[in-house]
Amino acid sequence: MVNTPSTDAAPRALPSFAASVGATSLEFLSTAKELLSLLVRTLYYSFRGRREPGAVVRSMFEIGNRSLFFLTVVMGFIGMIMVYQAGTQTMRVLPDLSLLGATYLELLIRDFAASIGALMLATRVGAGIAAEVGSMVVTEQVDALRMCAADPVDYLIKPRFLASVVMMTVLGIWSALVAYLTGMLTAYAWFDVSPLTFSNLILVDPVDLGTGLAKCIAYGAAIPIVSGHAGLATFGGSEGVGTATTRAVVNSSLAVIILNLAISATSFLAFG
Amino acid sequence: MARAQPNAPKDSDATPGGLHALGAAVVSVSQVVGAMGLLASRIFSRLAKLDLDRDELVRNLYRMGFQSMPIVIVTALFTGGIMVVQAAPLVNRLGAHGLMGWAAGFGTLREIAPLLTALMINGRVGANNTAELGTMVVTEQVDAMRVLAIDPIAFLVAPRFVAITVTLFISTVFADVLALVGAALMGDALLGVSPATFYNGLTGGLLGVGDVTSGMLKSILFGALIGLSSCQFGLGVEGGAPGVGRAVNATVVASAAGVFVIDYFVSFTL
Repeated sequence: MVNTPSTDAAPRALPSFAASVGATSLEFLSTAKELLSLLVRTLYYSFRGRREPGAVVRSMFEIGNRSLFFLTVVMGFIGMIMVYQAGTQTMRVLPDLSLLGATYLELLIRDFAASIGALMLATRVGAGIAAEVGSMVVTEQVDALRMCAADPVDYLIKPRFLASVVMMTVLGIWSALVAYLTGMLTAYAWFDVSPLTFSNLILVDPVDLGTGLAKCIAYGAAIPIVSGHAGLATFGGSEGVGTATTRAVVNSSLAVIILNLAISATSFLAFG
Repeated sequence: MARAQPNAPKDSDATPGGLHALGAAVVSVSQVVGAMGLLASRIFSRLAKLDLDRDELVRNLYRMGFQSMPIVIVTALFTGGIMVVQAAPLVNRLGAHGLMGWAAGFGTLREIAPLLTALMINGRVGANNTAELGTMVVTEQVDAMRVLAIDPIAFLVAPRFVAITVTLFISTVFADVLALVGAALMGDALLGVSPATFYNGLTGGLLGVGDVTSGMLKSILFGALIGLSSCQFGLGVEGGAPGVGRAVNATVVASAAGVFVIDYFVSFTL
C-alpha cells in the first residue's frame, strides 16, 4: 500500500501534497479490494477446491517447524526485556511487585505473544511466500498452471493459508509460554519475585484468552493473503522478486499492526 | 553427542536431529557474526578516511529515509494507539488516569517505538538493500567495479551502511513523537483522558532524559546492525537469482533476531 517503486531515485520534484494523498488512498483502496477478493477466493477453495495430498502438511512444516528456533530466541529475549522494564518502572512508582506476574501474563495472552510472534512470522513466512510465489510468476510457472485450468490461488495460496492459520495459533501459544518462562526467570533473578508469586492467573479471564486466540487466527489468515498477493503481483524478473518480497514483509507487518489495533479496541469496547 | 548423521544430501524434508541442528545453528550464527565483524572493520576504515561516495550516500538517504516515511508514520500512530488500548483495562482498574501518559511514555520511548521502527525499516530497507547488492553480485557488477579499481566497500557498502543508520535514527525520532500523539488521541477517544492530562503524566517527572536517550541509542545500534547484516548477506549471495531470494529471506530473519538480542543487552546495561 505504501510502496513506491524504488528503481531510479534521483530526488525529483515532489508532487503536490493533495495529489500524493489522493494517489495513496486510491492505491490503498484498490489493494484492499484485491486482498478481499483473494481472501474470498481462498476461503472458497478451502472448502470446495481440489485436495492435493500433503500440500498443507508441507506448508505447515515450512511455516511452523522451521520458524520455531527463530521464534523461541526472539520471544525468550522479549520476555526478559519486558519483565525487566516493567519491574524497574513499577519500582519507581510503587514498590510492590506482587502483581507483576499476573499483569504480565494478562498482557502476554491478550496481546504481546500473538502480536510480536506474528510480526516475526510476517518477516520470515511473508518473505518466504512472496519469494516462492514471485519466482514462480517470473518463471511463468503460474501461467502454466492457468493454462492447465488450475487456479493458482487453489494450488499455491490455499495450502499456505490453511497451514498458516493453524501454525500461527500453535506458535502464538508457544510464544506465550516461552516469554512467560523467561519472564519468570528474570523476575526471580532481578527482583526476587518467587516463581510461585509470579505464576498468578487471577487476572486472566476468558475475554483475554478469546482476544489472544482471535488475534492469532486473524494474523495467521492475513499474512499468507497479503504476501501471496504481493507474490502474485510480481513483475519484471528477479529484481521484481526482490521488490515483491519487500512489499510482502512491509505490508504483512502493517496488516498485523492494523488488525491488532482493530481487535484490541473491539474487545475493549465490547467486554471492557 | 555426535548423533550419526547420514551423509546423504540434505533435502528439505529430512529433519536433522535436535543436537545436530543446534550445533549447525551455533556454527552458522558464529560465521555470520564473524563475517559481519570483518565487514564492519572494513567499513569503518573507509569511514575514518572519509572515503565514501557522496552522491551514492545522498541517493540512498533519499530512497531509504524519505521514502520510508509513510510506513514509519502509519506504524507509529497505530502503535501508540495499541499501547493505550493494552494499558486501558489496567488504568481503569487502578483508576490511575493521571499515570497514563507515564505508562504509555516509558513503553513507547524505551522499547516499542525503536523496536517497531527497526522491524519496519528492516523489512523495507534491509530486504531491498540485500536484493539490490545481491543482484549486483550475481550479475558480476561488483567484480566489474574491482576490475575498474573502484573500491566496492567505499562506493557501495559504506554509503548504504551510513544511510541505513541515519534513516533509522531519524525515523525513531519521528516515531517517538507520533506514537505519543497516537497514544494521546486514543486515550482521549477510548478512556476520556484529555490530552492535557496525558501531557502532564508524560512530563510529570517520572520520565527522564534517560528514557529518551536509551531509545535513541538503541535505534543507532539497530541501524548499524541492519546495515551490516543486509550488506553482508547481499555481498555473500551465491547461486543466481534464487540465491538472491534466499539471501533476502536470511537477512530479514537475522536482522530481526539480532535486533531483539541487542535490545536485551542495551535494556539491561542502561
